[in-house]
Amino acid sequence: MLAGHIETNRTRGDWLRLWSALSPGRVKAVADGFAQRYRIEDLGASPSGLGLLPLRDSALGESYFLGEIPLARAHVRIIDDAGMVAEGAAVLLDDRASLTRAMAILDGVLAARLPGFEPILELLEEGARAVDEIAAGRRALLAATRVDFSLLGTADEDDEDA
Amino acid sequence: MGYVAIKGGGRAIRGAEAALDALRTAEGEAGTPLTLAAIEQQLRLLTSRVVSEGGLYHPRLAALAIKQMQGDTLEAAFALRAYRSTKPRLLEAPLQDTNRMRLIRRISSAFKDIPGGQMLGPTYDYALRLMRLDLADESPEAFRRVSRRFMDEMPDSDLPDTFPKVVDALRAEGLLPPVAAQPQEAFDITRDPLVFPVPRSAALATMARAETGSLLAIAYSNMRGYGDVHPTIAELRVGYLPVMLPHPVTGELIEAGEVLMTECEVVAMYERDDHDGPPVFTLGYGACFGHNEVKAISMAILDRALQKGMRDGPSNPSEDPEFVLLHVDGVDSMGFANHYKMPHYVTFQSDMDRLRTTQSQSGVEQKGVEA
Repeated sequence: MLAGHIETNRTRGDWLRLWSALSPGRVKAVADGFAQRYRIEDLGASPSGLGLLPLRDSALGESYFLGEIPLARAHVRIIDDAGMVAEGAAVLLDDRASLTRAMAILDGVLAARLPGFEPILELLEEGARAVDEIAAGRRALLAATRVDFSLLGTADEDDEDA
Repeated sequence: MGYVAIKGGGRAIRGAEAALDALRTAEGEAGTPLTLAAIEQQLRLLTSRVVSEGGLYHPRLAALAIKQMQGDTLEAAFALRAYRSTKPRLLEAPLQDTNRMRLIRRISSAFKDIPGGQMLGPTYDYALRLMRLDLADESPEAFRRVSRRFMDEMPDSDLPDTFPKVVDALRAEGLLPPVAAQPQEAFDITRDPLVFPVPRSAALATMARAETGSLLAIAYSNMRGYGDVHPTIAELRVGYLPVMLPHPVTGELIEAGEVLMTECEVVAMYERDDHDGPPVFTLGYGACFGHNEVKAISMAILDRALQKGMRDGPSNPSEDPEFVLLHVDGVDSMGFANHYKMPHYVTFQSDMDRLRTTQSQSGVEQKGVEA
């Protein structure tokens, strides 16, 4: 059930990251609209808890646990009036089950392109802008502190003290 | 003499809680409560320390713990661990790759020209340790201008988010030992007790959530001469690791969030290969949640020292896994120190009784000698 020409080139694997960059209120507001329009069934509880985080050490290549992370998971079934069924899910480094459930609804609606999915595409683009802004801030930290190791007197020097 | 029930203990304890809160709010009308965001952002290195020593990457709760414990890092880490003990474990994440870290700082003391270049990032390394008195009466307007101005003045940059690791370049030249082809299952220190000998993964996990000062003290003993690691920092990096978890429907690995972490590899003295290969440098590895460079460096030095101790037997405390790993946990050591404040009335009464008996016997013997 595709709706017109509105599409996105963002893959499903990127969606959660992009929505996570937005305010929870913004995400929940859009998801609430779908929760009113469609019947939402929770597939099991939406638990929040912890996950163990294993890393591979870069010295000898062995695995170890760096520590634990908060996690929330949600898995929902979305059913429209015509009986069409979609499934959505989310897993986040967060302990807010309601936020994770909201993202699971968005995930399911967008994956199945259920009618009315267009606002979710807007959320993706908003999220992408937020992610870009964060990345630009981090790049600025790097760019401002990049070390110039060219030898004094062998290259064109900026006379910073002049 | 046995334990004696007393009246008023509960009231005194409630009073102690109220007294703490009264001191926390002693600024009165002139005061403003600390927001968790302010603690997380403005005291970010303190928050880093607590997430790492608490063993749980939850900066907001770490900020809350710092506020609640009035800045005591040991108590804040304890609160975070207590919180984690109430939560169910949902999953063990797939093995994460720190090559994907989105860096905000990377340096090397081994080479100046590392692939991708050196970026100091946010650091006090080259700062004069002079008091910035302007911060004493910083206005909200001035405060808000700083970050905005920094971003406004920075030109667009085409720097990447991720960078190759220095150790990979050294390894490609055959100067480092090979990495494990298939990593063994890691030891879970939150579920299993340390029964020595322990695998290296237990040591790494224990040190990753160790108390910074404890780790530094033992690593410092090695640096000063009670050991012979003589490290060179191949690379020290700080950045955000994207945590990849399987999507519950598709099973595809997706980014569920990111954690700020510090990672360090040190190169130590070279050794002959055990299998008649050419000699290669030895390595130590350190990492922890948050931005905590002293901890990552200390851990890397101790990792190398412990590898030697596990293989050849310890020749100094920093090479002894039992000595190091049982004495670096802040919650453990704080708990033991603090337990001395609890009533020891019975044991001390016993000590006094024995002393009096010894004294009286000594007096009899003394009189006997004099007679």
